[in-house]
Amino acid sequence: MSTEKGTSRPIVDENECKGCGRCVAACPKKVLRLSGRINRRGYNSVEYVGEGCTGCATCFYNCPEPYALQVDDGRDAQ
Amino acid sequence: MIRKAKGFYETFDRKEPGTRATHYCPGCGHGIIHKLIGEAMAELGIQDRTVFVSPVGCAAFCFHYFDCGNVAGPHGRASAVATGITRSLPGKVVISYQGDGDLGAIGFNNAFQAANRGEHFACFFVNNSIYAMTGGQMAPTTMLGQKTTTTPFGRDPVKEGYPLKVCEILNQLEAPVFIERVSVSDTKRIMQARKAVRKALEIQRDGRGYAFVEFLSPCPTNWRMDAVASAQFVNEKMEKVFPLGNFRDRSAEPAPVAKAIPRLTVEELLDRGHEGGPAQVDHEFRERRFKFSGFGGQGVLSLGLVVAEAAGASGRFVSWLPSYGPEQRGGYASCSVVVSGKEVGSPTVDSPDVLVLMSQPAAEKFAMTVPDGGVVIYESSLPEPKVRPGVRVMGFPASRIAAEAGTPKAANTALLGALTALELHGLSEGKVLLALDASFAAKPALVERNRKVYQAAFDWARNNL
Repeated sequence: MSTEKGTSRPIVDENECKGCGRCVAACPKKVLRLSGRINRRGYNSVEYVGEGCTGCATCFYNCPEPYALQVDDGRDAQ
Repeated sequence: MIRKAKGFYETFDRKEPGTRATHYCPGCGHGIIHKLIGEAMAELGIQDRTVFVSPVGCAAFCFHYFDCGNVAGPHGRASAVATGITRSLPGKVVISYQGDGDLGAIGFNNAFQAANRGEHFACFFVNNSIYAMTGGQMAPTTMLGQKTTTTPFGRDPVKEGYPLKVCEILNQLEAPVFIERVSVSDTKRIMQARKAVRKALEIQRDGRGYAFVEFLSPCPTNWRMDAVASAQFVNEKMEKVFPLGNFRDRSAEPAPVAKAIPRLTVEELLDRGHEGGPAQVDHEFRERRFKFSGFGGQGVLSLGLVVAEAAGASGRFVSWLPSYGPEQRGGYASCSVVVSGKEVGSPTVDSPDVLVLMSQPAAEKFAMTVPDGGVVIYESSLPEPKVRPGVRVMGFPASRIAAEAGTPKAANTALLGALTALELHGLSEGKVLLALDASFAAKPALVERNRKVYQAAFDWARNNL
């Protein structure tokens, strides 16, 4: 398993996010924020600040939506 | 590697095709719990044999999300539905998913009894201390002082009782294998919940018995809070009333094995101990409609059954329909018997051709129902019943004859003798006696004694009626 520093990232589906902010509060690196953009459901969706994600998936487990938030941990599948 | 949700359909097409969002409010705990269940189900390799029972409440639409077998239960009945599925489809992994209104109130006894029987399913109980789908009313789990739409001044134990602690209650039972209370408020607690979900489903995968997991889950909408504040509320308020922790884990102990019972097919059950073959259509045979009535304990139901059995053994179409009160002895009892040469249309007999009366209340109730041309035989120690014109009424000393023949309790057998002597059932004596003997198959000593009563009654009826 190889880890390339800096390649992990959250993948937000902006249109499925409900903007509850649980991931923002839970992220240990504080690299998620509410975007200020209203999506087509009317929610202020979350966005990645662009750097600092460690791929810990804390946001994934805190997100109540199955498909709004995924995490690429930057590692190759074995 | 991408961490993504598992165990779900690709899209959730309830509202609009192609959508991938649940119907839950922002910040709701249900979605988190769903993800833990879906992930465990997929990773344990049980998805193809899992049946998920949705409740009534916010989670009523689980079947739109989980990619497995799905059943939706009526309100509070998910544990009962899950019981039915585990019993009829052994080998399936069954999940009952219920909220606190569903499981804690209307469905509490269903859930409690299923736990007490140690049914083989996992019960996931989502406790948000409020009725959410219906708009935030007090639930059994609402905490003291908590404001809801129906407790606007806070829950008062004097008026509304105390919050129901379901894990603690189930932990009084012998049968459950696993009981744990977890929370989905924050990351650390979600990870503990993840372990509990996996354990509960491993217990199901291995067929080890009942597993119960209670989730403390935020309801931002009805608590009037945002997602972050509601997570804090779970930690700071709910956990004080509903402490987290494992109450029981007996998954390492050997699972009890049920005693084997004989398995019979329906055909084997129906054919056992019966004479003759299928009923034969006979348009010449006049349909006979009987009512046998008296007190419970006099054997009127048995008398009707012997006539019905004899008719069945004679190739007649027959029905026997009992009616009795709750008392095992002394209440009213009656049965309707129809013997026919064609299929019996209705087993109820409102106007019997032949009425047998063994008690005063029965006489008062049924004597006037016999139409012109019918026959009433009554136990002659009773007053003669009033009947409609054209009805033949016969007093018959059934009790006295039975007593004189040495078996006082066999008054019903005496009446059978009279019915045969008077040719009221249209059946051969041979079949009647076989049916009589068969009715005492479990008590052979009574066969001869009843034959003696039967014969004495037959002779008396021939000579006196």
